[in-house]
Amino acid sequence: MKKTLNINIGNSIIHIEEDAYELLTGYLIEVKQHFGKSADDFEIVSDIENRIAEMFLEILQSQQKPVIELEDVQVVIGLMGSVEDFDNEQEDEPADTNATPGATPFIEKKLYRDTDEAMVAGVCSGLSHYLKIDVSVLRVITVLTVFLGGSGLLAYLILWVAIPKARTRSEKMAMKGEAINLQGFKRNFEEELSMLKDNLQQAGDHFEPLVKRSGSFITEFGEVMGAFLQGAGKTIFKLIAIIMMIAASLLFIAAFISLAAIFGFWDSGTNELFPFTIIDESYFRTFLFAAFITIIIPILALILFSVRVAFNSKPASKTFSYGLLLIWLAGLSVSIFFIARITYQFKEEAEFTQSVQLKPFATYKLDIDRSRFFSKEDSLKYQLNAADYAGKIIQHDSDHPDHPFASPRNVSLRIEKSDSATPSLIESYRSQGLNFEVALNNAKNIQYDFKQADSVLSFSSAIHLKKNANWRDQRVELVLRVPVGTRLKIDHDLNRYIQSFSIWACNEDDANDELYEVVMTADGLRCRFEN
Amino acid sequence: MIAENTQTQMRKGILEYCVLLIISRGEIYASDIIAELKTAKLLVVEGTLYPLLTRLKNNGLLSYNWVESTSGPPRKYYTLTPEGTSILVQLDGTWQELSFAITQSKNQTNKP
Repeated sequence: MKKTLNINIGNSIIHIEEDAYELLTGYLIEVKQHFGKSADDFEIVSDIENRIAEMFLEILQSQQKPVIELEDVQVVIGLMGSVEDFDNEQEDEPADTNATPGATPFIEKKLYRDTDEAMVAGVCSGLSHYLKIDVSVLRVITVLTVFLGGSGLLAYLILWVAIPKARTRSEKMAMKGEAINLQGFKRNFEEELSMLKDNLQQAGDHFEPLVKRSGSFITEFGEVMGAFLQGAGKTIFKLIAIIMMIAASLLFIAAFISLAAIFGFWDSGTNELFPFTIIDESYFRTFLFAAFITIIIPILALILFSVRVAFNSKPASKTFSYGLLLIWLAGLSVSIFFIARITYQFKEEAEFTQSVQLKPFATYKLDIDRSRFFSKEDSLKYQLNAADYAGKIIQHDSDHPDHPFASPRNVSLRIEKSDSATPSLIESYRSQGLNFEVALNNAKNIQYDFKQADSVLSFSSAIHLKKNANWRDQRVELVLRVPVGTRLKIDHDLNRYIQSFSIWACNEDDANDELYEVVMTADGLRCRFEN
Repeated sequence: MIAENTQTQMRKGILEYCVLLIISRGEIYASDIIAELKTAKLLVVEGTLYPLLTRLKNNGLLSYNWVESTSGPPRKYYTLTPEGTSILVQLDGTWQELSFAITQSKNQTNKP
């Protein structure tokens, strides 16, 4: 279906379809413009219009149709001749010397701000028309000069104020360098019409210039800053989204690798590391898998989201999202269940003590025993050949006694005055457990090594658990009771194990920096040499 | 291209003459003039005729009167004015001379 209009041409009323009308109008405008230079323009044009009307009526008559169509107008224009054809046929017209018809009129391009295609204030758009440089290039230059040095901002503002906005159609055409003639006008108008037809949203944008025009410069600036931030913000947003996407993907991969390692796809020994010893072996895998799900799905969602923001793609299907959500909730609930269960294992505490008699000496040396005694299970785990190590003592890494996955410090030492004249060491083994019996059992399974070799007391830095024993906060508290007057030379590394006394204070400017000397007095430990 | 230019020049020169000849035969309106010129292959587009007719009228060579038509807009019927007739006679003379010149150039052989 097409829209028709009624025109009055050559004193006749003729029905004509909309697109035909537009073609005709354009043609007549051109004709008028062409003959506008001569004094007889009106007469010639009306002659032509009469002739056209005559031709239309002939067509309507012969084809027995009610309305002039586009093809008819084209035929008539062909017969009548286009304006270019007029030029070829006549030269005796008293033509205007300034604008020779047919030759392209001198196009003077003027510098205006293009607010129709503006991102902020149309400075870059206008400049791009004038300089014939692609607008994006100019915009990138502007942004760079604004952010690196700021001078670009000042230049931009000056241009904003100085360059006038292209308001009227002829100004806009002059800005773009389109010929200011009726052909140009027609082209310009048609372009705008087709743009409006294609994208109805742009009709809304056309109301914006009204707002901009009505405000003063400052309000315009404020509004435009907001729009700019939105536009620039979107780009920055996209950058952030891309970075997030990459980071999240790396996390994702790392999580998978960790899971594989923990599950034992290769012998990584992670099961013996501290946090994982808390978990009882029976539900080790289930719990970790559930925890993995709980962590991985948010990461996955983050990746999908950032992909969507970065690349403007469609959001994931609802089914998929709900599916993910369900899986995540399942993982979460299972994880919570197991966490509760594990926490329950620490409910009760138990303790038992034993005393060790010490051989009395006037001076003791206290040091840390870093050697580890390997059990048979250890040698299996580490695939050691016992024969290789026979007779050798393997030392702990003394540089990093508390590496990240070591259990928290579970040995503490207090040095007290002995009531009797004999020194003694009291070892208290403590542990948590599901109930008292279990806790006591856990405590009994603690291995702690203490040696006395003559006057040297060697304290192991950590307790040992049986292989596959779960960590239940097992710890040992040692109380060393020495009579008054006993001197102690303490290895400085022991400081962190000693409670309620700091041997740092006993530092002397000695060659022997490793040992600190203290003495047991009636009031407790004192530094051997007061600083 | 070059031939076209010359041809166009030639046609332009005699277009006016032809138009006057046609009108001299009797009252006629623009559309019929065009039809005749087309059969004589002298005119390609109608649009060139109207300014020509108007100019001739303004120079006093033609006059017209409006005739109402039942099937369409009113039409201008052109006739020659006395001045137009005398100009036509002059052009006739010029045409004879030109015709002679061409015949001469064609028939004469170049002297060895």
